[in-house]
Amino acid sequence: MIKQAILEAVGNLLASRQRSLLALIGIMVGAGAVIAMLTVGAIAREETARQFRAMGTDILLIRADSDQGLGNLPLAETEALPAQIRGLSLIAPFMLGGGQVSAEGQSRSTSFLGVTESFAPVARVRLAQGRFISRHDRFEPFAVVGSALAEQLSTPFNRIRVGSNIRVGRYVFTVIGVLEPSLPSPMMPADVNDALMVSIPNGRRIMSTPQLAWGVARAAPDADPDQVARAIGTALEPSMREGRVQVQSARALLAGLASQMRLFTLLLGAVGAIALVLGGVGVMNIMLVSVQERRREIGVRLAIGATRWNIQSLFLTEAAVLSLAGGAFGVLLGLAGAWGFAQMSGWAFVVSATAIPLGAGVSIATGLFFGFYPAVMASRLDPIVALRTE
Amino acid sequence: MLELTDITKSFRTGPAETIVLNDLTLHVGEREFCSIMGGSGSGKSTLMNIIGLLDRPTRGQYRIAGEDVLAAPPDKQSALRNRLIGFVFQSFFLLPRLNAWRNAALPLMYRGTPEAEARRQACAMLERVGLADRMEHMPAMLSGGQKQRVAIARALVGQPKVLLADEPTGALDPKVAQEIMDLFLEVNRELGVLVLIITHDPHIAAQCPRQLRLGGGRIAQDLRMAA
Repeated sequence: MIKQAILEAVGNLLASRQRSLLALIGIMVGAGAVIAMLTVGAIAREETARQFRAMGTDILLIRADSDQGLGNLPLAETEALPAQIRGLSLIAPFMLGGGQVSAEGQSRSTSFLGVTESFAPVARVRLAQGRFISRHDRFEPFAVVGSALAEQLSTPFNRIRVGSNIRVGRYVFTVIGVLEPSLPSPMMPADVNDALMVSIPNGRRIMSTPQLAWGVARAAPDADPDQVARAIGTALEPSMREGRVQVQSARALLAGLASQMRLFTLLLGAVGAIALVLGGVGVMNIMLVSVQERRREIGVRLAIGATRWNIQSLFLTEAAVLSLAGGAFGVLLGLAGAWGFAQMSGWAFVVSATAIPLGAGVSIATGLFFGFYPAVMASRLDPIVALRTE
Repeated sequence: MLELTDITKSFRTGPAETIVLNDLTLHVGEREFCSIMGGSGSGKSTLMNIIGLLDRPTRGQYRIAGEDVLAAPPDKQSALRNRLIGFVFQSFFLLPRLNAWRNAALPLMYRGTPEAEARRQACAMLERVGLADRMEHMPAMLSGGQKQRVAIARALVGQPKVLLADEPTGALDPKVAQEIMDLFLEVNRELGVLVLIITHDPHIAAQCPRQLRLGGGRIAQDLRMAA
């Protein structure tokens, strides 16, 4: 009986192909949107988690603020902090700027970082070749290049390597190191892959606003990063001529990101839900037309001994078959969309385990919900009136 | 078999009340074969709908085989219709997307008969009405007379007590109409099913052992032919 009912529903849907197709597309887009949203959400979550794993949750970001914008960190006092604060293992103040660089006729706009020796271990950057900036490279025209920048400035015949020259304004720097590619860190204000790193004295030469406003630090493995963050703020405050210090821990950022992500997912879910409602209205519309067209058939079935419930289930089965097919195509469409997104963003494609059953379930539920009213309409038809319809 | 007592049916259209059936009383015995004639608006179809449990009278009593069928709730009435009554319509009303045997098997499907068994019975009934070689045909591929035979098979497949036919030959040419009439007479004789035929055609009515004529909302004439 159930098999028969489903076969009959499929037959009826095929008989009005065009209309069924339109309803199918509605549900498909709705379910596809829900699936794509959920999967993109999962991809983004996964990517963030990966970045934090690579970066470590013991990282701290320090920023000096003043009334005019960014402030200045006292270099000597900042570098002396690990000796004073228990649980602070490393600290690296740095300057951040940006501008044009050129090499071998290739010109690029990039970030400038004025750094100290300790930047490499704190930011966990590794060298593909050469060495990092050391405490002895004060005014020596030496630079370390991020991997993406090195790639962009290279030509097939002239790769950027140790010994290459890079021009910044009127200064020419000699490359002493090239970094390995690393995951961009959500904590850092600039991506080290796309940055030119020089000593702090050289940084003051090439940046338009040479302020030592930033710092990264690592808390010891057994220390509470939030406590260390507060201690840094308290220790630096007296030595600041003006302005304040803000210290953010990865953990706080993570919490912020998590709540942001929840909002994002909620928003995407709402978009998907709206799309599904539209699809559902499409199903309802098509079912109502179908009921109208098949009044005589309904009358015959009632005369032959169909109960109200038989008539209802006739139309509900059609709605369910329609929305199930739409949901199945929608899952494929959504996954394809999310895969395309992953390809474009370069993020790893992951399928959230809940997305597929949720998308399929939600689309069937939508179909049944919106199919219910037409089905009830059909079952309430007066057989005499229905039979009289020509 | 059919006992209608003091059946009144009125419709309210705006302020006026139209009385279609007025204290109509009619008893039809088992195995009887009746025709019902009457002018347009004489209430033939209304009477047929009431007998077929598709409509309820405003007042009156109706028993089938002694059972008070008006007291039954709607779904019970569906079951009674399914079990006791077979319908044949003027324009056949086959379901266009089901083939001949599936159309004929429909009442059994609503009864919950397993498909294989329903198919066997439907095919046997199609054979009975002379369509042994049309089991898998779709209604669109059948002639008018063949469609009506499928409809008769569908009406009879559930072994009802009563066969109600509303102008069953109205859409057919005279030769085919006579064939269908012969089939009605045959199933009445051989299956013992009570047959009620609404018709405009005096030639069809003349072949019925009992001839009723509706007028003034009642049975105006009740003729019994000597067998």
